[in-house]
Amino acid sequence: MTALNVIPKGEDEPETMDAVVIETRSVAKIVPTAEGELAILEGIDLEINAGESVAIVGASGSGKTTLLGILAGLDVPTAGTVSLCGAELTALDEEERAKVRGEQIGFVFQTFQLLGSLTALENVMLPAELRGEAEAEQDARDLLAKVGLAQRLDHYPRQLSGGEQQRVAIARAFASRPNVLFADEPTGNLDTRTGATIIDLLFELNAEFDTTLVLVTHDDRLAARCGRVIEIDGGRIVG
Amino acid sequence: MGFILRLAWRDWRGGELGLLVIALMVAVGTVTAVSLFVDRLHQALLKESATFLAADRYIGSSAEIPESFRQAARDLGLETADTLSFPSMVFTADDRNSLVSVKAVGPGYPLRGVLRVTDVPFTPPVVTTELPEPGEVWLDGRLFPSLGVALGDRVEVGYATLEITRVLTSEPDRGGSMYDLGPRLLMRIEDVPATRVVQPGSRLSYRLLLKGEEGALETLKADLGIEEDPNFWWRGIRESSPTIGSALTRAESFLLLGGLLGVLLAGVAVALSAHRYARRHYDHVGVLKTLGATPNQILASYVGLLAVVGGVAVSFGLLVGSGLHLAIVAMLQSIIPVALPPPSVRPFLLGAVTGLICAIAFALPPLLHLKNISPMRVIRRDVGAAPPSQIASYGAAVAGSLGLLIWYSGSIELTAWTLLGTLGALALFGALATVLLRGGRVVGMQAGSGLRLALAGLQRRRKENTAQILIFGLAIMLLLILLLLRTALLDEWRNQVPENAPNHFAMNISPEDVDEIGVLLEANSREQGGLFPMIRGRITAVNGIPAKEWEATHRSEMEDGPRLSSGRNLTWAEDMPDDNALVAGDWWDAADTRAMVSLEDDYAEDLGLSIGDQLTFDIGGETLDVEVVNLRRLNWESMRPNFFIIFSPGALESFPATWMTSFYLERDNKQFLNELLSRFPTITVIEVDAIIAQVQSIIARVTQAVELVLGLVLASGVLVLIASIHASRDARLSEHALIRTLGGTRRLIAGSLTAEFAALGLFAGIVAVVGAEITVLILQTQVFELGASVHPWLWITGPLIGALLILVVGLLGTRQLIAAPPISVLRGLN
Ligand SMILES: Nc1ncnc2c1ncn2[C@@H]1O[C@H](COP(=O)(O)OP(=O)(O)OP(=O)(O)O)[C@@H](O)[C@H]1O
Ligand SMILES: [Mg+2]
Repeated sequence: MTALNVIPKGEDEPETMDAVVIETRSVAKIVPTAEGELAILEGIDLEINAGESVAIVGASGSGKTTLLGILAGLDVPTAGTVSLCGAELTALDEEERAKVRGEQIGFVFQTFQLLGSLTALENVMLPAELRGEAEAEQDARDLLAKVGLAQRLDHYPRQLSGGEQQRVAIARAFASRPNVLFADEPTGNLDTRTGATIIDLLFELNAEFDTTLVLVTHDDRLAARCGRVIEIDGGRIVG
Repeated sequence: MGFILRLAWRDWRGGELGLLVIALMVAVGTVTAVSLFVDRLHQALLKESATFLAADRYIGSSAEIPESFRQAARDLGLETADTLSFPSMVFTADDRNSLVSVKAVGPGYPLRGVLRVTDVPFTPPVVTTELPEPGEVWLDGRLFPSLGVALGDRVEVGYATLEITRVLTSEPDRGGSMYDLGPRLLMRIEDVPATRVVQPGSRLSYRLLLKGEEGALETLKADLGIEEDPNFWWRGIRESSPTIGSALTRAESFLLLGGLLGVLLAGVAVALSAHRYARRHYDHVGVLKTLGATPNQILASYVGLLAVVGGVAVSFGLLVGSGLHLAIVAMLQSIIPVALPPPSVRPFLLGAVTGLICAIAFALPPLLHLKNISPMRVIRRDVGAAPPSQIASYGAAVAGSLGLLIWYSGSIELTAWTLLGTLGALALFGALATVLLRGGRVVGMQAGSGLRLALAGLQRRRKENTAQILIFGLAIMLLLILLLLRTALLDEWRNQVPENAPNHFAMNISPEDVDEIGVLLEANSREQGGLFPMIRGRITAVNGIPAKEWEATHRSEMEDGPRLSSGRNLTWAEDMPDDNALVAGDWWDAADTRAMVSLEDDYAEDLGLSIGDQLTFDIGGETLDVEVVNLRRLNWESMRPNFFIIFSPGALESFPATWMTSFYLERDNKQFLNELLSRFPTITVIEVDAIIAQVQSIIARVTQAVELVLGLVLASGVLVLIASIHASRDARLSEHALIRTLGGTRRLIAGSLTAEFAALGLFAGIVAVVGAEITVLILQTQVFELGASVHPWLWITGPLIGALLILVVGLLGTRQLIAAPPISVLRGLN
């Protein structure tokens, strides 16, 4: 396999604090169901600037996860356009979207999504390996040390608690030095105390690496720590 | 590259790849071991059976073989030797004489096999590499009493006087046909001119024996254009010894079929484990994609992974295969005394290519599908797991199997039947499995909790379970097919030469000696074939139509069938011979004095004769009219005197007859022949015990090979079962973990698993029996040319064996699942 050709970040467009990193125009997601078409998202217009931290909140089933997936280029809207870090996601094919993801974003999930056959260290090394970078190990070790797991490098996910697994996931998300970090209910599966630790960690690293943060949450405390809160209801932005 | 290796290593470490690697390895290993063994055994058997010819091939003619043939053979690097056989009278100094079958041989004879000689007639022989010197003869043991000669005496063959120097016990190419054998006289071909027996019209049989490379032999055959030349015939073991030829052909077909089924089974195992691997990697790929892996990168990674895994599996498979084959050879050393020639490269090539095809046709499609997994799967599990294109993966598997089958068997016919049977069975099975599963639910309503849980489980995963029943059923079916065919083949072979079948024939017995010889044989041999009068005669007309004319209009197309007008041995009998069976008409009443005749069924059919026809015979110049009253079937394998034509007692009694019989003599009792022949010097004894022993030993070896291949294929069958159980393990795992967290006890789970596997096995067994019966019927009649048969016992044992087999394999495969605490099961699932 050949290494992914990475355009080193920052060469093309110097980052400024108020540069727009995410921009959507009339995004809609309509899926066919047994009872006819179902509009999950409608008329989403959104701008998120570099360095911002944004919380997306709303009732269960309101379309938060769907929106996040579209913003991150994991999925495509049925209508409208999305651009991420200057790349017009809706005009790209999956191959190119994957490159953008690899270069620009990091992701933290409610269900951690570590690879069970890989150790903690290997999970964190994965993004670099995917780009074909040989010397990923030291960086991965450092990141794991930052999240407090220096002693658990060779443990497999099944040997770690939920909170520990989420810390590995955060280390992995920052391993690719993303411009934007997406998180879907990162504390949803954790108790309040552990959740708080994870939130601290997230913001700490966010500040250190100067990342834009977009997260979905039901947790009011988490939403409160974000610079901006976007509320959606029935697939539309209401506030 | 580094990433692929890391991916492979991590998956291997996690146990994800184990089954795939093992399945591939077994595919390669089985094919390599089976074909190595078959290849070498085949060569060995050919060598062994070549001793029947004293050569690998020979060119036969009734005229002298031209020197140019010999030169052409030598130019191709073949070894040659000449033989000339003819019947002749020998005379002793005191003017006793006997008709003998002379074989005159040149230097180099025999090219295959050995001569056995002794110094005292009917004593155990020793192997010799010598030949009679010019001027010498070696005589068959039975000539010594009948001619009243000893070693050192002289006999006259034509105009030549030759010295007797040895007793000849056997030579390899004594031949299988028993009626053309007189006692043997072996001499040098250099002495033949001096005898002056070779004259126009003499019954001469020239042979140029050939030995060497298969390719060179074929080239020679083509170069000399022997096929087109009616004056020469080309013979190998198949043409000259039909019994052994057909045993070999069938054994080869069977071994091929066995190996081929082994490959198919292993292919199924590969496909199953590759699918499982792919399914388990859906999430994996989803995560990789969110991390920026592109579809092409995923594709390259997994194709690369398969290449690495395939390479490793093939290498180890080849190693394992050769090791296994060596172990087999060592194990069977005592049973297979034939020195095995070194193997050719073909088996290794076959193994490697099999691995490659298995990987591409069976394992690649599900892995290719991985690139289409959507990254959204990471946040929504139901997306991105659309099943792989059915057409692509089944198409590849079918194409792969087809290619493998044809290449492996070299027989489109065998492949077509196997494939047709398999596909037909699958269609039938699908329907049957659905019905069985439905029926299972109805029964389950009234069942206890473990059973109800099991049957509910069977219902819930109906699609998976239908597939699993198909796979189990197919595996069991293939095994049953092999088992049934093996049994049919072995029975057939055993019947070919029954134990204690008469191994000597006595002919030319004069009527006044009949009673005395009967008593003597009764006392000295264990089995006798009955004494029959023998009168030469031939049919001259049928219903008043001259024989030649009748033949022209009624004889069937078969070239090699008997001819109506040729001279035959006739006999008469009051009662029908024991081992004959009446096919049509009635056997005659002893009181009935009409002239009647009984015909052999096939003989009558070939010549267009039926009951009621009037036959006119010419016997010693006299004409005799008789009516055909019944048709019989003979048992040719019985080694008893057999007659196409039997007259009713009154009709032939006035004609002069000699009598014949057959009897069984043990090896230790051979001295009896000496006694018999001294007392009745005029009778002719033909020994066929050596031939029978040789046939038996070859058949025993072929049988061994058949058993062995069956064992190997069984192993791949079990592997399929294991792979299939593993493939369904994940679904069961989560389900049972859940049930246990909901309060289900370990016993409940174990009970439910037991019931589920037993039910699956039972259903698969039923399905397998149906398929096996149909396929075996077709194979037996179409490919192996054996009689058709149904196996009632199978209908009970098949499903039971299925249930037991799946139960054992299933419970072994899932035992950690029952033993582990539910929490670890839940964690392992993440
Ligand atoms: N592919 C799909 N097909 C049908 N319905 C879908 C599909 N994807 C999402 N939905 C529906 O769209 C709605 C929004 O889903 P989404 O997961 O975005 O909600 P959410 O806001 O993240 O909810 P939660 O807070 O519970 O995670 C839900 O009602 C969901 O069932
Ligand atoms: Mg959600």
